[in-house]
Amino acid sequence: MSLMQAGKNNPVKTTAYTTWMGEDGIARTVVKKNAEVKLKEAVENTEAVFSLFKDKKFPLLIDSRYIKYITKEARDHFSINNRETVIICFGILIDSPLSRVIGNFFMGLNKPSVPAKLFTNEEEALKWLKKFL
Amino acid sequence: MSELKYRTVSARSKEKKILEVIMAYARLDFSQKTKIGNEGDIFDAISAGVNMLGEELKNSTVSLREKEQLLREIHHRVKNNLQIISSLLSLQTYNEKDKKFLSLIRESRNRIKSMALVHEMLYSTSDLSRVQLNNYIKTLCKSIYESYRRPKMQIIFSFNINEGVYFDIDRMIPLGLILNEIISNSLKHAFPENKGTISISLKNVKNNYSLTIQDDGKGLPAGFSVKKHSNLGMQLIFMLGEQLNAKVNMHGKKGISYKIQF
Repeated sequence: MSLMQAGKNNPVKTTAYTTWMGEDGIARTVVKKNAEVKLKEAVENTEAVFSLFKDKKFPLLIDSRYIKYITKEARDHFSINNRETVIICFGILIDSPLSRVIGNFFMGLNKPSVPAKLFTNEEEALKWLKKFL
Repeated sequence: MSELKYRTVSARSKEKKILEVIMAYARLDFSQKTKIGNEGDIFDAISAGVNMLGEELKNSTVSLREKEQLLREIHHRVKNNLQIISSLLSLQTYNEKDKKFLSLIRESRNRIKSMALVHEMLYSTSDLSRVQLNNYIKTLCKSIYESYRRPKMQIIFSFNINEGVYFDIDRMIPLGLILNEIISNSLKHAFPENKGTISISLKNVKNNYSLTIQDDGKGLPAGFSVKKHSNLGMQLIFMLGEQLNAKVNMHGKKGISYKIQF
């Protein structure tokens, strides 16, 4: 089982994402293959992440390696500006040329309000996220 | 068709479509988008990048247009409000015969007009932040001349101002008020025979400007001193000069000449 899959109990499935809380206290959300994320899908994902909240905010690992597209409205939503959040930071996993472009666009133009970073390696991503626990 | 040939044709077709979309965005036509395939390859990455750039550009363009519209509206309203103030002052002169009072009202209205003209020019041009100096000065002179024109008065205005000089509102308002005072003084006092010339020229080297306003009228009376004899208009010239960080020099031997260096 990969680090990404760790503790995948009771995942919350939405149109474009599968989301769950890892045993290490880091939440995971994986985008479905070739998903085109619009505002609706982004809001569904936020609700899924919110449902994992108990009493403490947590880091989030987003696996965007198989994303096909994300609209401006969805990117703006994910930047967590002017809205409540339960996450303290997030790492985004990228891999293909497409996910790299999307990831870099998001980080460059949408400027998330919590610490965020792009990774091509799961281990490094988790190591960085653990610092915020 | 061989695999290689198929890929080449497919790549060219994708390239063509991406270029078409980029050119549409360059024309600010955001109705088109590139198609992103399921391969997640370099073409899909470029397509996604182009689409995202288009979305951001559209958003910025719309936002910029809205801001421009708002700014235009504000300048329009400021100009209208200044005009209302001017009209209210004019109403105060109804049935009034006191020449000194009428003169004060006219001077105040001209000052207001010189400021309103800046706002009018700002919203009338595509560039909402700057006013063309040459155009402004000519229009201002015409307006002041109409205000002070006496029967049989024939004053010639001569301009030598580079058409490429533009100033923002922070410079234009004090400069307009200074010009208003100087030209008004000339028209009121310099030409007892109702004939003469007012010359306005601008020299500029890099960002240093030297504006000269000169009339060929009767000049200053003997024994005139700025400290002793200056009126509100003259005080305004020097005060606004300070606001512009300008050096203001006045000579009154052959007509009156002002040099404003800033």
